[in-house]
Parts: sequence; structure tokens; C-alpha cells
Amino acid sequence: MNRHELKESLLKGDPAFWTELPQLNRKADGFDDLIFLSTLRKKALTRGIKRPQSSRTVRLAVIGGYSLYPLHELLVHLLESIGIACELFVGDYDNYVSEAMEEGGRLVLFNPHVVFLLPGVQRCKYPGSLTDARDQVQAAAESVVHHLLDLCRVLQERTSAQIILGNFLPVSRHDPGAFRARTLASDWNFRRWVNLELGLRLPAGVHLCDLEFLASRHGGLAGENPRGWFESKQPCSFSLLVEICREVSHLIQGLYSAPKKVLVLDLDNTLWGGVVADDGLDGIEIGDTSPRGEAFKAFQRHILTLKGRGVLLAVCSKNDHAKALEPFEKHPEMVLRATDFVAFKANWDPKSDNIRRMASELNLGLDSFVFVDDNPAEIEIVRQFAPEVLTILLGPDPAEYAGQLQDCRLFEAQNITAEDVQRTSQYRAEMERTSLLASATDMDAYLASLEMEGFINEFNPVDVPRLTQLINKSNQFNLTTRRRTEAEVQALIGHPDFISFSVRLKDRFGDHGLIGIVIGERKGDVLEIDTWLMSCRVLKRQVEETMLNEFVRLARDRGCVRMKGVYLATPKNEMVRKFYPQMGFQSTEVTEERGEYSLDLSTYQPSPTKISVKRQDS
Amino acid sequence: MNQTEVIAKLQEVFDDIFLEPPKLTPAISAKDVPEWDSLLHISLLVAVEKTFDVRFRVGEVEATRNIGEFADLIAKRKTEK
Repeated sequence: MNRHELKESLLKGDPAFWTELPQLNRKADGFDDLIFLSTLRKKALTRGIKRPQSSRTVRLAVIGGYSLYPLHELLVHLLESIGIACELFVGDYDNYVSEAMEEGGRLVLFNPHVVFLLPGVQRCKYPGSLTDARDQVQAAAESVVHHLLDLCRVLQERTSAQIILGNFLPVSRHDPGAFRARTLASDWNFRRWVNLELGLRLPAGVHLCDLEFLASRHGGLAGENPRGWFESKQPCSFSLLVEICREVSHLIQGLYSAPKKVLVLDLDNTLWGGVVADDGLDGIEIGDTSPRGEAFKAFQRHILTLKGRGVLLAVCSKNDHAKALEPFEKHPEMVLRATDFVAFKANWDPKSDNIRRMASELNLGLDSFVFVDDNPAEIEIVRQFAPEVLTILLGPDPAEYAGQLQDCRLFEAQNITAEDVQRTSQYRAEMERTSLLASATDMDAYLASLEMEGFINEFNPVDVPRLTQLINKSNQFNLTTRRRTEAEVQALIGHPDFISFSVRLKDRFGDHGLIGIVIGERKGDVLEIDTWLMSCRVLKRQVEETMLNEFVRLARDRGCVRMKGVYLATPKNEMVRKFYPQMGFQSTEVTEERGEYSLDLSTYQPSPTKISVKRQDS
Repeated sequence: MNQTEVIAKLQEVFDDIFLEPPKLTPAISAKDVPEWDSLLHISLLVAVEKTFDVRFRVGEVEATRNIGEFADLIAKRKTEK
């Protein structure tokens, strides 16, 4: 959605307005864009468009050495858009010292949760001469730092608020020239020294809004606004003001929300260039032999730094497990190794399923996961089927990957502890104890270890009650959901035009009983699959493959050359929508409600399975 | 751009920023529009500078008495570019 589409959704009274708004805020490139969105938000409020409940209400005080409009307007807009409602106290221009100090004053009575204190740069200036002794200048700088930290302490004593302290914008004009570097008395050095000391001495409960950093990121001159200062005491240009408000909003959000814990990464074209299964170990781009390879390597280095700060890493890739693992084990240029990950899912299941599995295995909420992929389709499936997961779609250039991830600002900690640094090894140990099936190759070994036996029986009178029950009860793994009475089932026994059989499954842990049914009707040399259903508890045990192998064998015996399958959609059988194509059938006609598929029996190769098949006649 | 053209374009800017946008005429001014306070005025100027790609000089917008004069100022700064 762009801003005009958002306006349309406002005019239509569409509640989607509220979900789109934060996304547009993030994309908004500049002050007037955000003010436009802020106006829309206020219009949506007056029109009473149904909005999600705010997650909390914050009493926010904004005080400082500048005019605090439109700063507070932007700040409140950003916070309200992400579900943080604000009660606001706005200080008067350059009145923050008395506002903070006044016992029983308006600010204290307001009892803020959060105070944003933005001191004016005019208070951070050495009054003497550029040639004054360093000790003398340093004492003056010290007193600026002390004054501000005292103010914070007083505020904390009187209000129990969390404090966000803005430091001082750097100088961006040349004066006094290169000499600025040779004396602490130059505005440039004086402010930098004060900023540095403020950051290093911040007490608990005080957080820095680093204007020096923001201005350097934004560009010093682009942050200047002398006319705004003379006309209405603005701290800086409106474009830099937006960045400051984003930072304060980010810090406030960080006070109330848990940080992300797990970074889930795609492999091909995310951690290396190319597709390892196609290009091979030698063909992927990683490492210092090419610029692209270097870029991917740098991205891996950044990811490893995140791990060092306590972020858990995981892999989620549509891939063959062994092939996906190979670069981590054998490629000399890889920075990341298999032991850096707490989960490694390389298979063909939907990524949303894999991430859900990781969440349950690691016992972490889905909302602590971040998923990174270069493929928009994969991002979309996770957005749709695991919406709690935050997704990042990588841009077209791997040189930008690290920067893009950093700018999402998801893994920033207020503090980093020694425990953070060890987190991966703790989780890995836990994962090994629970030893869950992580991969397709493990899956094969696992299935083999089950020692499964499949008993194939053509329909017979003894089974009729159980057959009828299953036919009338199965909803999910049921291609056509055709129900039948006992008499109708009975009528199929020994019928010359029908091939009908059931499967029972046993493994070394016990008997699952009769769990699968197929009914096929022979029409000339085509076998039409009337019914195919299965009990969900034996999914992914290769029962499907076993059934098809058997079905094809019986069909060929009766002279069929083609098999025709149909999928009839119901509200409950979405899981088998793609079943026939997955089994190797060609689609002939597919709509939302039904799909028709065909299998050429002359070329069909039986799938190998770990189920040993027993037939009634053998 | 003449005054009428400028005012037509200004109307779009106002529509984006005001909750209840006034219908602009050369004679209208901030005191005729309750919503148009000094705070909203700042947003308006930023949007106008961007939309028209002009840069005002310190104090000169304050000196205009109505939309007509404001539009003339925009046109003047525009031709100087």
C-alpha cells in the first residue's frame, strides 16, 4: 500500500488501515510524509475506524532546550501507530531545568513513565578561549556532564520514570578550521568529549538518544536548520528530527517489548551465492575469490557477531539436508559452521512449518523469531502461516545484506551480559538431549528404525465396519470426501470394475490398525480414483507411497495404462490439495474447488519406502 | 506559475495536512481556520517547500497576511530558481 491507497482505506473505513499504517511509517522518507500519515491517523480516529486495542498507555514527558513541536507530534504518531498510546506532557521551550527540579511541579505531578530530555546545544559550549589549558576546558566539560546526570538523578528520584537523554548535535561547519582538532575548547571537540563521557557514565534507567550518531548517519549539513531555529527554536532540520523521533520511539518500544531471540536464515543466495544443490560445493560464491563471495562472507561475519551477543542462529532451507550441510562442513571459506546453529532444517516442508517446529523444539515463542530470505515467495508463506514471525526480505545486492539486517534493529540489547555470549551452547545441549528429528536423512534412518510393516488387503467382509467408519469419518487426508454406507462398501467387495483395498500399519512400537483406504473404478484402460483417504496419525511414514505402489501394481494387473485422480476441496481437506502432484501425477484441470490429475502407468517407477509390504494373497 | 495555479496546488497540500481542510481563496488566512495554529503552520511550510521545491528566507512567510500573498511569495521564489 502507498500513502494514497492508505487514504482510500481510511475513506472506506477499512480496519486494515491500522495494520498498514506502521509499515508506511517505516517506509516514510521524510517529515512531510510522516506528518501526512499522522494527519490520516487522526482522521481515522475521528471517524472511529475500528482499531486494535493499544498494548499499553505510556505517560510520556518531552522536555528540553528547544521548541518541542513538531517533535512531540511525530513521536506520539510513531508510538500510537505501533499500539503504544501516549498521555503527553510537553515542556516549555528551554524550561527543562526548572521543570525537572521543581518539587511538586507539573512534571512531577504528571508522574511520567518516560521522560525524553533533549538539552539545548547552547548549554554545551566552552565560554573561554581556544587556547585555554586543557585542564581548565576539561573541568568545564565535566560540569556539563555532571549537570545533566544530576538532572536525570533528580528526575528519577521524583518520578520513577525511565529517562531518555539526548546528547548534543555535532558541529557541521568548518570554523575554526583544522585547529578544531588540537584543542578541547573547540565546539567540535568539546561536544564530542561531553557526549562520550555522558554515554560511558549513564546510570541504570537512563538511556541515550545519541544525536551525535544520528546526525553523523544523516549528514551534518542535512541536519542543520538555522531558519527553523530563528523562527521557531527547532533543534535541527525536519529530516533529522524524524530520525531523532524514530530513535526515541525505538528506545521506548524497547523498554516494553522483549527482544528477538532467534535469527532463522535461508541458505542459497542468502548465506552464499548460487544454489548448492545445482552448482555444487565448488560452484557456490563464498569467500575472498570474488567480490560477491566477499559480500556473502561479510554477511556471515555479521551474523556470527550477532551470535556472539547471544542471538540464536537457525537454518531453514528448501534443500536436500546432506547437500545443505556440505558447505558448513567442507567449504574452507565459510565463516559459519554447523555448530553455530541451534536448529538446522533443510527439507521440502513449508518454511512456516519448519519455523513452528523450531519454536516448539526450542520452547520459544514464535514472536521471538526473525526469518531472513531472498525469495519473496518464502517470505510470503511465513507471513501467512506464521504471522508472529518477523520476516526480512533481502534486497537484490548481497553487499547490502548486513546493512539491511542491521537497519531492522531487531537484535539490539540495552545491555549485553556474559550469559548472552554462551547462549548458543546451552540451547544446543538442550536440543541434543531432546534429539528431535531435524532432517530428511535422519528421517530415513528414523523410518528404517521403526521396522514398519504394511498389510494390504482388498476389501473383505470382516473389515466392512472399520472401512465404513473410516470412510465416513476422515476429513483431512481425504481427496474426495465421498461417504458410503456399510451396504455400499459391502457391494464393492469382489466387484469386477473396482479395485478397493485397505492398509494396516504396524511398527515396532505397536499396531496402528487399518489406516488407509483407496477405491478405484476401472473405466476401459483408465483407473479413476474414487476415494483415497488416510488417517493423519501416520502422515509422513511413507504409507502414501506404499499405497500408490500397490495401486499401480493392481491397476496394471487389470490392464490399465493410466490412472486419474481428482481432488474435491472441502473446508477441511486443504492438506491434500497438492497431494497428486506431489505423488508425481500431472495436472489436467485445476480450479479452486477441484483438481484433476493423471498418472501414466507405463512410466511409473515405484517409490522406495521403509515399509515392508505384506499382501493377503502372499 | 500564477497565483491561481499556485493556490490550486496549495489546496492539495492543505488537503493532506488538515483534518478539515479549508477551501482556499486569496483572502483566506490562518485566523479564519481554527485548526491552522502555529504548530500546524510548521508542518505546512515543510510540505510547501518540498512540493514546490522552493526555499523561504527567515521571517518572510510570517510577513504574508493571507493565502494570496503567500502564493505570490511561492511564485516569486519559484521564478528565482
